[in-house]
Amino acid sequence: MRAAFPYFGTGTVALKAFFEDLGAEVVLPPPPTKRTLEIGVRHSPEQICLPFKVTLGNLIESLELGADTLFMAAGTRKCRFGYYHLVQERVLRDLGRGCKLHGLSQYSAYEAVTRRLPEIFGVSPARAVWALYRLLARSSVIHEMDNMVRRLRPHDLALAESLLRTGLKLIGETRSLREVRCVRRELRASLPRTTRPPRVRIGIVGEVYLMLEPFANAEIEKELGRLGALVVTERSLYRHLRHVLLNSDLTYFQSARYAGRYIGESPGGEVTKTVGEAIRFARDGLDGILHIFPFTCMPENMALEILQKVGEDYQVPVMSLSFDEHTSKTGLITRLEAFVDMVARKKMVGTGKMARAACL
Amino acid sequence: MAVVGIPRALLYHRYGRFWQTYLTELGFDVKVSAKTTKQTLEKGLGKVSSEVCLPIKIVAGHIEELKGDVDYLFLPRLVWLRDQMYACPKMIGIPDLARITVPRSCRVVAPMIKGDFVLPHLRAGMELTNNPVRVWQAWLKSRHLLRTKTTLPDLPAGVRKVALVSHFYNLGDHYVAQDITDTLTRAGLRIYSKEDLPASILAGQEGLAKSIRWVYERELYNAFRFYSDKVDGICAIVSFGCGPDSLVTELMQQEARGLNVPFTQLVIDEHTGKAGIVTRLEAFVELVKKHKAG
Repeated sequence: MRAAFPYFGTGTVALKAFFEDLGAEVVLPPPPTKRTLEIGVRHSPEQICLPFKVTLGNLIESLELGADTLFMAAGTRKCRFGYYHLVQERVLRDLGRGCKLHGLSQYSAYEAVTRRLPEIFGVSPARAVWALYRLLARSSVIHEMDNMVRRLRPHDLALAESLLRTGLKLIGETRSLREVRCVRRELRASLPRTTRPPRVRIGIVGEVYLMLEPFANAEIEKELGRLGALVVTERSLYRHLRHVLLNSDLTYFQSARYAGRYIGESPGGEVTKTVGEAIRFARDGLDGILHIFPFTCMPENMALEILQKVGEDYQVPVMSLSFDEHTSKTGLITRLEAFVDMVARKKMVGTGKMARAACL
Repeated sequence: MAVVGIPRALLYHRYGRFWQTYLTELGFDVKVSAKTTKQTLEKGLGKVSSEVCLPIKIVAGHIEELKGDVDYLFLPRLVWLRDQMYACPKMIGIPDLARITVPRSCRVVAPMIKGDFVLPHLRAGMELTNNPVRVWQAWLKSRHLLRTKTTLPDLPAGVRKVALVSHFYNLGDHYVAQDITDTLTRAGLRIYSKEDLPASILAGQEGLAKSIRWVYERELYNAFRFYSDKVDGICAIVSFGCGPDSLVTELMQQEARGLNVPFTQLVIDEHTGKAGIVTRLEAFVELVKKHKAG
């Protein structure tokens, strides 16, 4: 089996190792580029959101490289995401590309281990458990490394990026859990200590693919780092897996409790997380909140309205940015600069602190 | 007497008569917002982001118009109907949207419909009146309005027929659909929509319908399948930014290619001009007439 799956930010490395653990040969598509997006846009329905287009382009590129079994994440039913693998399979069939596309839906760990993974890969449940455990271990290291890199970026962007590259390479090369632990220790040791506080701290919330895939979000974290802003986010492949497979992501429960004040019933997607995390960031005293989502995203558009209210209630600046294939990086940077400047000024004046005290 | 407001948008276009009777029987003064106008829409535009679809902007406008004059805002939250058939995420989020925009004097009553339609309404009645006898009597007096159609529409031969495949909240809204229906009627065409079909057809599971898990999208798709060999043209009206429609209309378009029936898709939003719509529809009418001849 020559398996392929679309890029998923830094988590790609862990996913690749996961498929290899299950005995598949992985044909990794090249990291998404302008060409990927062009291919995706050409074959997508007009008003579909950016993640569909990028992942479709990615899948087609991996077919060009000789993949025969494709994997695509699938979601729950309220959001369009639940249908993406179905529509993509149809598109690929119409293109005359013979291949099998599996939608990996949000199973519980039990279902994945006993039924789905053995069915697809022909492995024993024990091996599926082993592979999943290693996936969790690797993604947890990546999660930790991502956070380190985020803390480092405002101080030394070049060093942070090289650390990220080296770290991902090391994790990709690990063959055993012991090696994974070694990499974790090495990473911790290699992180330079800084005590200087960053200019501002900005929390990013929003749609998960946009947040985790640097190509889709025009490398927003890097750009913010360049502006001297420390980025805080709570989303990662590790957290996502913990939540979906094991229902044991503790931050999610807190988010759900916070968001409950504003949302009676989740409109699907990640609205609960988006709103809950934004509230937590505001309570933690972050200086600003960026909300990023794909253009025409249904759930996040509802979150947008609620976030405006959250921003008002907690006196924290919130900026919502939507992304599609026409998003220009220059335009994005201009807006980020303005936002960071505004947030920094607000912090200087100190109104943020006073208002927060009034709110709590 | 306390006043309950119902925005004349979205679900009102299907359940409005039931809600009106039910709430009146409960002893409230029911105030339904006036028909959508340009002013309504403009009020809505100022309240929600520019990216959401037209129906949401319209409902925001109606809420804006009502919020000062009513004590309660009745906005049932449809999450899913029958076996886990979901509503669109935006529809689920509407009551939350309303809660953050209305003043404190106005309470949003949002019975949560998950599968069962009746119980949430009874519970909402209890929330409003706290009088079980009255709630039950109001339900008995209004429940006949929930009955769905059971007869097939009359499809006479010799008349040119077109099917408008769109959501009831688009077609039911005067402001959105008037120009479209007027143009088609003036051209001598008879218009059918999914509201003319009995529930048994709309809930069908043949073909792709089974994999469509949005309740109203499945209805659209089934209506499309039903009409595809019975009418001379199909026109899908989609509001810009409608998520589910962007997928399902794509499927219909692909299927229509193999069916030999004229199919057109009109995308509408608040900037849609009458002239543009009429031009496109006239071209479509020509196609329909040719289809009849050939």
